Amino acid sequence: MTAMNYDVLVVGAGIGGMESALKLGDMGYKVLLVEKEASVGGKMILLSKVFPTLDCASCISTPKMASTIHHPNITALTYARVDGIRRSPDGAFHATVTKKARHVDIDACTGCQKCETACTVAVPDEFNADLVARRAAHITFPQAVPKKAVISREGSSPCSFACPAGIQAHGYVSLIRSGLNEQAYRLVLDATPLVGTLGRACYAPCEGECTRGSLEGTLPIRRLKRYASDAHEASGNGTGIEIAAPNGKRVAIVGSGPTGLTAAWQLARLGYSVRILEAAPVAGGFLRLGIPSYRLPEAVVERDIDNVRELGVEIETGVTVRDLPALKAQGFDAVLVATGTHKSQGLGVPGEDRLGVLGGTDFLRSVKLGHAPNLTGKRVVVVGGGNVAMDTARTARRLGAASVTVAYRRGRDEMPAHHVEAADAEKEGVGFALQVAPVEVTGDAAGAVNGLRCQRMRLGAADASGRGRPEPIPGSEHVIACDVIVAAIGMRPDTSAFGTQLATDQGGRLVADATSRQTALSYVFAAGDAVHGPTDITRAVGEGRRAAHMINRWLTGGMLAGFDDRLPVVDKAAVLARQKAYALRPGTPDGSTLEAAPADFRELEAPLTDAEATAGASRCIDCGVCSECNECVAACPVDGCIDLRARDESFEAQVGAVVVSTGFKLFPADLKPEYGWGRFRNVITGMQMDRLLAPTRPFNTILRPGDGKLPERIAYILCTGSRDEQVGNPLCSRFCCMYSVKQNQLLMGALPLADVTVHYMDIRAPGKRYDEFYEQAKSMGANYIKGRVADISETPTGDLVLTYEDIENGGGVVKAEYDLVVLAVGVQPNHDAEQLFEVGELAPDAWGWVGEPEEDLNPGATSIPGVFVAGAASGAKDIADSILHAGAAVAQVAAHLETAKTGAGKVTVPA
Amino acid sequence: MVTTNPGGPAAPHRDDREVMRDEAVMRPRILAALAQGPLTVPESAAALGAPAHETVFWVMAMRRYGWLAEIKGSESDGYFQYQPTGRTV
Repeated sequence: MTAMNYDVLVVGAGIGGMESALKLGDMGYKVLLVEKEASVGGKMILLSKVFPTLDCASCISTPKMASTIHHPNITALTYARVDGIRRSPDGAFHATVTKKARHVDIDACTGCQKCETACTVAVPDEFNADLVARRAAHITFPQAVPKKAVISREGSSPCSFACPAGIQAHGYVSLIRSGLNEQAYRLVLDATPLVGTLGRACYAPCEGECTRGSLEGTLPIRRLKRYASDAHEASGNGTGIEIAAPNGKRVAIVGSGPTGLTAAWQLARLGYSVRILEAAPVAGGFLRLGIPSYRLPEAVVERDIDNVRELGVEIETGVTVRDLPALKAQGFDAVLVATGTHKSQGLGVPGEDRLGVLGGTDFLRSVKLGHAPNLTGKRVVVVGGGNVAMDTARTARRLGAASVTVAYRRGRDEMPAHHVEAADAEKEGVGFALQVAPVEVTGDAAGAVNGLRCQRMRLGAADASGRGRPEPIPGSEHVIACDVIVAAIGMRPDTSAFGTQLATDQGGRLVADATSRQTALSYVFAAGDAVHGPTDITRAVGEGRRAAHMINRWLTGGMLAGFDDRLPVVDKAAVLARQKAYALRPGTPDGSTLEAAPADFRELEAPLTDAEATAGASRCIDCGVCSECNECVAACPVDGCIDLRARDESFEAQVGAVVVSTGFKLFPADLKPEYGWGRFRNVITGMQMDRLLAPTRPFNTILRPGDGKLPERIAYILCTGSRDEQVGNPLCSRFCCMYSVKQNQLLMGALPLADVTVHYMDIRAPGKRYDEFYEQAKSMGANYIKGRVADISETPTGDLVLTYEDIENGGGVVKAEYDLVVLAVGVQPNHDAEQLFEVGELAPDAWGWVGEPEEDLNPGATSIPGVFVAGAASGAKDIADSILHAGAAVAQVAAHLETAKTGAGKVTVPA
Repeated sequence: MVTTNPGGPAAPHRDDREVMRDEAVMRPRILAALAQGPLTVPESAAALGAPAHETVFWVMAMRRYGWLAEIKGSESDGYFQYQPTGRTV
């Protein structure tokens, strides 16, 4: 962490903070100004006009905002926070400051807002008091200073973070929700050419992490990917992928499974000349030769492989590579070995060489190559509990086996197979013999299989896998009569062709560096299942991406690092807490049609309909806020301006004094439930009305939020949350009366036919020309009724009935109906300031505001020598008073700094 | 539709954040309704079969991002009419 020195740290760039920074800067002090929002200006810039002059708030704020940002003595950091401030014994302050990642290069951004227009994520616009949506990519408000975009990104969404292939699942879901199916396809394509394949055959770890899963159920994320792929296929569009100019370097990839194809895809796009060498007669590896067609049709795999071929990648089949140095000699600059795990593991029991004993992957491969064994009428036992075992069993059913039994040494819950695969196998008539282990293959005199002798097992203490260790039950041997046995107990790589060129471990897996996948032969990289043993498609795709990244680094002289740059995953509890409630929506129907006796290899799962896809995608709750759909990147006219992987940056600043100008918080109006804010749409707050009145308002004019109607009868309720012991705030908020009077006048100007009524306790107009301002509102026609409002109810048309006391007209309880009610909410202390220091160090006053122990004689001074408070952080103040108070604080700061320079009155801080 | 509030009492209506997210899927439906002629917010809500206050969120966000605009001087019974601007993507 680097350290920087300033004379003063000003925390908060509202009007008090800006004024403090400007005056201190004018005096020649070096000021570090830290603002948590992406623009300076605080609340004032959001107002319509100011009282009593009715000057445009924007017009008088923006010059000060610009001066603040451009002042030569002020370093203004927006979208930053002060994490903490500590004092050292010499009286200096050390502040830890974090510049939050904007994900936009502030120097390159032109403020064109194209990213905002393109963004696919809508969130409430806090700068419009939540009256309208903004986008995750946004400029805070039109007069923002600096007028630079920021992308709301709270971390990686769990679905995207969980994807071993590194695919932005949230991104394509968000695109599909917006009807941008082709863009969704291309987003996945950016990671891998295997879009249609993954849309059908991956096991969707994204869905396992979907936050919506804790509500009514996970989104159909995998099927949405297939939907995008199918939509692309139907469109007849090309991939539209951009390819770098040829760089003159060649890479050979041994193996054409998901790792090899993905690596080839990535490297070819970078300008490499890539050749894939495949030992099998067809390309695709396990996708083409291991996964049954009812789950993954060959045509889909072929289409995905065509994506690779379209980039100019050559794929040679029927080529077994045995000599890696020879590839180097042929001119390949690097080699990737990604040969997978195609070899079936044997049963290891007597009789396994009998006629009728097959290996699982060998069996599946022969079926896919059109050499299926004749199983008609035969009894088949499949040994194993993994996905290959399920695929084998279900394939055997389709080949006409009279019976298919899966024999597994543990229980159903301990099976490594995906639970859906096991359940679907059962629905297709596959039987399960659980907690049995083979001890011998029995046969007839001709050497053919006639049974599998098994021993029953019980589960003992958990082993390294966390599952109960199977232990044989003595005397429990029995024979399962059968004609064919398929051993699907495991797969292992066949790396024998490489001889001693590459090191292998005890399991026959290739040895490669855990990060770079580089082998002992520096130009040879190894990745995928050949290194890790059998995994799944998404992991294999991720391996291909990693290998391509590292090969490119190696060939360009870079460090072999930097592949996984995901942001930390968001906290699901925090995501769910963003909403007060969730509407539960129907889940997506299961698209599979299973038959008890399947007879063919037709694809089982139906595609999502348009309506199902839209409904499914619309359930996404945008966990990370930004979805990483990359539409902003595509729309941005400046290459490299947007970096969605940018990180927060922290540094330490040493300063001689601190000005706390963190302002106030508005009273949350829902704490007065009798007024119905949050329940009745046409009850709004004063700040919401100011936004409706502002030149940059969220609606085209002053409309009520409940139905977009121009209001004709508008009521104000003053002292909402102020002078109210019921909500724990006995203090007057000092400016609610006057901003209400201001709004009264503006409303009567904007809506000449509107009736404006104000329910008040008493009007507090103590400033210069304030009372005249109030009298002016009355003379314009505003009706002021003295007395508390007891209750608001809503009519079926959204109108609001107020029950109130009319003190000056007999004191009776009266009811009146209005179109719109404005709650003149008061203010509350912002406790953020206290968090900056050690607990209790910055002492609050009796009401929680930043305390000024000598408020009368020494305004701006706090309980900490050298720390001063400016503006409304120390109590409710209007704009003029905030500026005055900031002036006082500035004088205190200057006196403190000058005193410190001379050594007079030096502060001694206990160590 | 059931509205739930994890760990708390049932909520009276959908959370604003959730309504705003739906703009993406409601947008084509609103544009399709407006293709038949300009509509006010309550008329759009009726065409969608959605609450008017939710429709305000969608219409105003679409207005903000250039999908539709009010017709100046079109207010009738206190409501403006809105029409598509021609933005397609």
